[in-house]
Amino acid sequence: MAKPQKHTARASAARVIAEVIQKKHSLNGVLTAALTSLPDNDRSLCQQLCYGVIRWQPQLEAISQSLLTKSLRAKDADIAALLLCGIYQLRDMRVPAHAAISETVNACKTLGKPWATGLLNASLRNYQRQHDEIEAKILQQESAQYAHPDWLIQRFKQDWPEQWPAILEANNLQPPMMIRVNKQHGSRQDYLTRMAQANIDATAIEVCSEGVLLDTPCDVFQLPGFADGDASVQDGAAQLVAQLLDLKPNLRILDACAAPGGKTCHILEQFPDNQMVALDIDPRRLLQIKQNTDRLKLNAELIASDAVDVDNWWDGQLFDRILIDAPCSGTGVIRRHPDIKLLRRPDDIATLAQQQQQLLNKLWPLLKPDGVLIYTTCSALKQENEEQVASFLQYHPEAQENAISPTPAERRSFGYQRLPGDNMLDGFYYASLSHR
Amino acid sequence: MTRFGQLFNLLGLFMALLEILHFPDQRLRKKATAVTEITAKIRQLAEDMLETMYDAPGVGLAANQVNVQKRLVVIDVSEDKSSPLIFINPEIINKQGEREHEEGCLSVPEAYELVTRADTVRVKALDLDGVAFELDADELLATCIQHEIDHLDGKLFVDYISNLKRQRIKKRLEKQFKQQR
Repeated sequence: MAKPQKHTARASAARVIAEVIQKKHSLNGVLTAALTSLPDNDRSLCQQLCYGVIRWQPQLEAISQSLLTKSLRAKDADIAALLLCGIYQLRDMRVPAHAAISETVNACKTLGKPWATGLLNASLRNYQRQHDEIEAKILQQESAQYAHPDWLIQRFKQDWPEQWPAILEANNLQPPMMIRVNKQHGSRQDYLTRMAQANIDATAIEVCSEGVLLDTPCDVFQLPGFADGDASVQDGAAQLVAQLLDLKPNLRILDACAAPGGKTCHILEQFPDNQMVALDIDPRRLLQIKQNTDRLKLNAELIASDAVDVDNWWDGQLFDRILIDAPCSGTGVIRRHPDIKLLRRPDDIATLAQQQQQLLNKLWPLLKPDGVLIYTTCSALKQENEEQVASFLQYHPEAQENAISPTPAERRSFGYQRLPGDNMLDGFYYASLSHR
Repeated sequence: MTRFGQLFNLLGLFMALLEILHFPDQRLRKKATAVTEITAKIRQLAEDMLETMYDAPGVGLAANQVNVQKRLVVIDVSEDKSSPLIFINPEIINKQGEREHEEGCLSVPEAYELVTRADTVRVKALDLDGVAFELDADELLATCIQHEIDHLDGKLFVDYISNLKRQRIKKRLEKQFKQQR
């Protein structure tokens, strides 16, 4: 029997990255599966490599192309990905160069492709030798310079003629970890004290009443009382949504695209006795909501359905509050999900905009006359945000857009836009709608 | 391996690496016969098999894999070559549970597939001095013992995987073999 195949950090990272790039699978899903077969001490490096390489892929790919005389075959996508890992380690990680090269070259054998050791060794050493020249050359391509696909750079330029370089830069930063304190279990001040006792450095997020910003990310189970529901992981931009809903007791609330349930739970934490209907189109994702409501000991009616199929799920009772946290391009949260750069296609935006429009049109009639509908996305593109709301208002003269105070983000012609990285938060869009 | 090399091996003048047969070589399908007497030749074979296994690198090798149809298996699942085991006429006398384990084989280079086997086994065999012993094995050692005893019966781990995967591996190895020639 052959020596068991080693699952090393670098080899596993190469397999994961190849699957994301080639098969267009989501990084989070593929990585989670890969980490289970890795020894504990290899996991953090594998994760760092996957996120780092995917984040900088357009740049690393340009470098790799200038090193290879011909591109690798499709079935050797793992070797191509391993080369990106090698370049990333040499450029951006505090791994000594000799170790970065020898370990990366060794990973060829782990991947069962010993023929590639020479190729990788030569390519990485060439990169070291011609470093300045190659780096200068790739900066001439915009997609490499900003590490985004060309089409997305063009979209940002078109929508944000002044801010686009800052947006692209913010998208490439590692996101900070933020949590939401469960106010049913205690005050934020008390929780900050408990965190200090647990040696977790953190500060209150000014704009979010329950938000806490961690100095450095940590495992959720290190958070005091996480398993008991004392806190949840959520970016501050998403925490602002509950504040917009003007919550009080005895409300009937719809969360139309609820998974994984962060906002559902946050809304219920305000008044746990409110009646919450949480929908999601994907039954497996509905399970994530269940895990969250269970951990936080909250009750919501969970329904697996596309929210626009109103006949399929609605019991005929109107809602006081409706939250449409619409499926979107995710272009406001690229820093958290760098694979968006690789998975999204230019035509996706129009398809998503159509879905968003349908959600607004189909759910608007379910709102009580004195109710409030909040439309949000984690997109930074106008077509999904202010233009979407503008066109909704045009076709629904009975509807009006409400000013929100205090403003959750920068005022736009319709709604409020937070661009990625503003105030350290995720990119997000908010609009509040009601009957005239 | 030259004839001289083989001759020297048999004489036991020095240890040497043996040639490992590769799937789909039909000789891997021959059943091995029991070792009736532990001769110097058998002892030398065990030594050479250990060296060949370490060099591969592997954790187990059955005599059929080096084209000797005798019921002899060598195993070392340690990281540092510190625990060589030699099984003559091994027999599994008890199996418990089930476990899926990723396996590879020195006769099937660069292929790794999940195979379900017994979780723990009790094996009975003779050592190089002809003394009978019993051993309880779990984890990698249990998988390896079952894998090697399969070899003695002409069975390979690829027999447990889908036909499609097996054909793909077969084609790849036949192609590599041609290229080497």
